[in-house]
Amino acid sequence: MKNQYEPISTSIVKIETLSPINKLFTLQIKDEQTRNVFKFRHGQFFILSVPGFGEAPFGFCSSPTIKETFQVSVDKRGSLTSKLFELKVSDGIGIRGPYGNGFDRKKIKNRNLVLIAGGCGLSPLRTIIQDANLHPDKFQNIQIFYGCRNSELLSFKKDYKKWSKNMEMNLTVDTPDKTWSDNVGVVTDLLTPEKIKKDAVAILVGPPIMYKFVIQKLIALGLSDDDIYVSLERRMHCGIGICQHCALVGGKYVCTDGPLFSYAEIKDKPEGI
Amino acid sequence: MNDKQLQDFVSYLIKNRHNVFSHTDDDGEISIKKISSGKDFVLCPKRPLYSFKKFFLPPCQKMMEFSGDTTTLNRSPNVKIVLLGLHFYDLKALTLINQVYNKDPHFQKKLRNAIVIGQSPVPAELEDYQKFEKEVLEHLKFDIFLEAKSHDKQKSFRIFTGSEDGQRLLDGFGYRDYENIEYVGPVPKKGLGPINSMLIEKVKKSCGSKIWKELSKKCTDCGKCTIVCPTCFCFKIKDEIKKDEIVRSREWDSCFYEEFSEIAGGHKFLDSTEKRIYNYYDHKFVRIPEEYEMPGCVSCGRCTEVCPAGIDLRENLKRILEEN
Repeated sequence: MKNQYEPISTSIVKIETLSPINKLFTLQIKDEQTRNVFKFRHGQFFILSVPGFGEAPFGFCSSPTIKETFQVSVDKRGSLTSKLFELKVSDGIGIRGPYGNGFDRKKIKNRNLVLIAGGCGLSPLRTIIQDANLHPDKFQNIQIFYGCRNSELLSFKKDYKKWSKNMEMNLTVDTPDKTWSDNVGVVTDLLTPEKIKKDAVAILVGPPIMYKFVIQKLIALGLSDDDIYVSLERRMHCGIGICQHCALVGGKYVCTDGPLFSYAEIKDKPEGI
Repeated sequence: MNDKQLQDFVSYLIKNRHNVFSHTDDDGEISIKKISSGKDFVLCPKRPLYSFKKFFLPPCQKMMEFSGDTTTLNRSPNVKIVLLGLHFYDLKALTLINQVYNKDPHFQKKLRNAIVIGQSPVPAELEDYQKFEKEVLEHLKFDIFLEAKSHDKQKSFRIFTGSEDGQRLLDGFGYRDYENIEYVGPVPKKGLGPINSMLIEKVKKSCGSKIWKELSKKCTDCGKCTIVCPTCFCFKIKDEIKKDEIVRSREWDSCFYEEFSEIAGGHKFLDSTEKRIYNYYDHKFVRIPEEYEMPGCVSCGRCTEVCPAGIDLRENLKRILEEN
């Protein structure tokens, strides 16, 4: 019987420091055959582990159309991520997955897309952004709204110029430094009727506090509950719907039903947002 | 099968399988122990506080070990065991856990290596269950089932088998007067039934109502109810760095522990006793029934017996049904 908890042996092939607390790891599954059949979809995640330091779920952050390698962006927050920050190119880690329901691209077929990210939330949205940048014909108009505490913490800064060719980038920070000349304030303030394209589907990834205000704003702008998607973060151990850590009260598991949910699916769950 | 034959059969099992665990009675204290004689076991309506759960889901189970670049999955030897005397509700619990863990290699290995022998005597309040006819047994996981013909003296038993393993053992012992019942899956045709279906709606409706606030003032978050519950199956996975190796294992977890829902950065989604108690009921009476068409509680009463704060699950369910 297949052991679902067995990690797939994976190498770190590149490490880039994106911010003082964030690094981008490019990973490659060691075994060629396993690598060739490993496929993920937008909105899916995987469980990464370092022996002795445990396992934790991470979103993919590179386009699913890129073969051979994939990327994950990691914020240094706990013992596992601190260990990851010590690792070097060619060191090995374990992964299992992909897990999660993923995001059906049919839902956004011929629709404008509004991607709203807060803090480290830009990372999982990068699967879509990178895909759209590589294959612009597959997507309609894409607007990105990204807010951070300060400009130092903004992720993927060097990608913005490239992305701006195909997408509209809107950046904002809470506390600007002297060099900052762009928007100041919360991301919610950028979402105005003049700004948001008609017939849009919104995908939100960020802290729960951001969801509350952004969802209110999007509904006021006329988006339906079915057209607002949010990515939920929960503690996870198994990733396959057994251990109960990521259960939403009232039904649904973030690991198997999510992590991306339409607002319609979760708005009645007591602790959903 | 009469009492004497049953004792001989148990002795035969001890001789053949060595590891036979059964309910034993030490001055009225029922517990599960390894027995060494066909006379050591008891079949009685009283159940032990701790169920047979640990034989299938050990409190701490090694999953794999790491040494250098090699990962070795835990290939523990196939230890054949016999579990004798599971009550109806413990068989129900095993049937449910088998549904939840149907793709789990660790659980399935334990189940494959265990001979599960059920028994019919049940506490007086569960007498409805005593009609152990085909339509009840065909939805339970067991190898052999002993139905007491006389509930008072338990002198003779009607024997059912639920698997080929069970048949083989009885044949080997030389007893052929058994009836085989084929397992047709966990869910009876009638599905959840009216009370359990109603409970789903009523528990959902009760969310945020005063009962949970009241219970949260009594509950101490000790998690004892989750340890004794035969259907509580939550776990956590953890790594341990030992002298020569690194071990990844899984351990029982309890949704009453604060860190159960904690994420990186310290946020806890179930950040109060009120939310945690509701989540416990939501899992047993909403999520499990909706996902598996089976109730998540088998009415064994262990949680009520063990609760240091005197919280009575049956009373709470009655209140939820009445007040919502």
